[in-house]
Amino acid sequence: MIEHPVVLVFLYALATALATGLGALPFVVVRSVSERVVAYANAIAAGLMLGASFGLVVEGTSFGSSETVVGAGAGVLFILVTQKLLEGRDIEFADIRGAGARRMLLTVVVMTVHSFAEGVAVGVSFGGGITLAAIITVAIAVHNVPEGLAISAVLRPRGVSVAGCAGWSIFSSLPQPLMAVPAFLFVEAFRTALPYGIGFAAGAMVFMVLVELLPEAFGQARRSTVAMLVSLTMIGMIFFQQYL
Amino acid sequence: MFGDTLDPTLLLLGLATLAALVAGVGAVPLIGREQPPPRLMGWANALAAGLMLGAAYALVAAGVAPPAPGAAGAALGVLYVMFTHRATGTDLLELNRVEHPDAVYPYRVLMMHVLHSASEGLAIGVAMVVSVPFGVFMVLAIAVHNMPEATVLCAILRGRGLTLFQASGLAVAVRMSQVLLAVATFAVLGAAPAMVPLALGFAVGALVYLVMAELLPESYEEAGHQSIALVAIVAMMMVVLLRGMAG
Repeated sequence: MIEHPVVLVFLYALATALATGLGALPFVVVRSVSERVVAYANAIAAGLMLGASFGLVVEGTSFGSSETVVGAGAGVLFILVTQKLLEGRDIEFADIRGAGARRMLLTVVVMTVHSFAEGVAVGVSFGGGITLAAIITVAIAVHNVPEGLAISAVLRPRGVSVAGCAGWSIFSSLPQPLMAVPAFLFVEAFRTALPYGIGFAAGAMVFMVLVELLPEAFGQARRSTVAMLVSLTMIGMIFFQQYL
Repeated sequence: MFGDTLDPTLLLLGLATLAALVAGVGAVPLIGREQPPPRLMGWANALAAGLMLGAAYALVAAGVAPPAPGAAGAALGVLYVMFTHRATGTDLLELNRVEHPDAVYPYRVLMMHVLHSASEGLAIGVAMVVSVPFGVFMVLAIAVHNMPEATVLCAILRGRGLTLFQASGLAVAVRMSQVLLAVATFAVLGAAPAMVPLALGFAVGALVYLVMAELLPESYEEAGHQSIALVAIVAMMMVVLLRGMAG
């Protein structure tokens, strides 16, 4: 039964989801949570998400530019609507309240939603043949680690435990195995939807960076330090993805 | 398209000069206003930021730089702009002050624009080396972005007593570095193609850092976070779409 390709696709994608939890590890060492640390962590999360989006858009536009841009527009709308829904509510996230809780919730939502598109991408790439599965799995697992880092960078400075950060990181990647299986089974149908999904994920992430992470970072730390952290982590993320 | 009939260096010189001249149009939104509303400055910055991020994306997506020299070049680009900010005393300066007591202030801002435009010229030159259509695409994106950037500069210069016409002329003049670097980069890389990945990475790093250090921080104080984010991301989407249509 374990030999069945559908089971394999699910297990591979589940393994990549678990790898996301590793992104919380650096925070075993980093303990201080001053305002400036929050700003730096935001800047790092912003750089990682921008870099990831650049990679996604390169992939999406290879299927179709206008489809990707339409998807991105929907991603922006999604964040705007979510912000509207959260506005004026007393939000509690992992026992924390207020503006910090809203930002944490939004980050987890955005990263979880973006995993749906990634899961589809995984399933479609497995559709090309299961022989490359091990390589693809390792590549995506490694690629998921900085995404877990992006989530942990938002959660940890606001008081979530390291285990909690790992848990939410893994949670955000669970759509990957869930979406990989149907995408693998119905490759043709999902291939058509893929550029929209990828565009949606990229649009939501970039907008999240522009509307939440960057303004908060600039408000609490020196401009040049924030800019350096965003630029260098973004370059690192792009480099990292190109290597895989 | 044009490349078949016209020498690419001449084409580049002509287009980059036009892109610099287009900056003069940036003064238009200021006609009939004593001082522009802060929101206008914020949106102009956000528009320029989105177009520059889109240009950086296009350079990454060109996919001609192998990862290692590309990333090394990008890190160099970031460090270079950081260094020039430090050296010109603009790293801690408020960049959009229409009135500023310090007499040196406008010179610092002008110097910053000269250096800013130089990095963009490099990006244009690299793009032209990748392919002529890509170069034309890059000039177009930078030309459009020159307008909102000039709007901000003209507002600052007018606050120092310049007429709108003078401010508009100066906004064009500081972009001569763009023309110069575009042509020089194209010529040098033509002679030393091995440098292309490094230069391409450098342009990406410089553009992204410029957006993060010069354009976005103050825009969030001048207009609402949502409107800034929207203007920037729509500009990015336009560049992605344009790139798709250009092929």
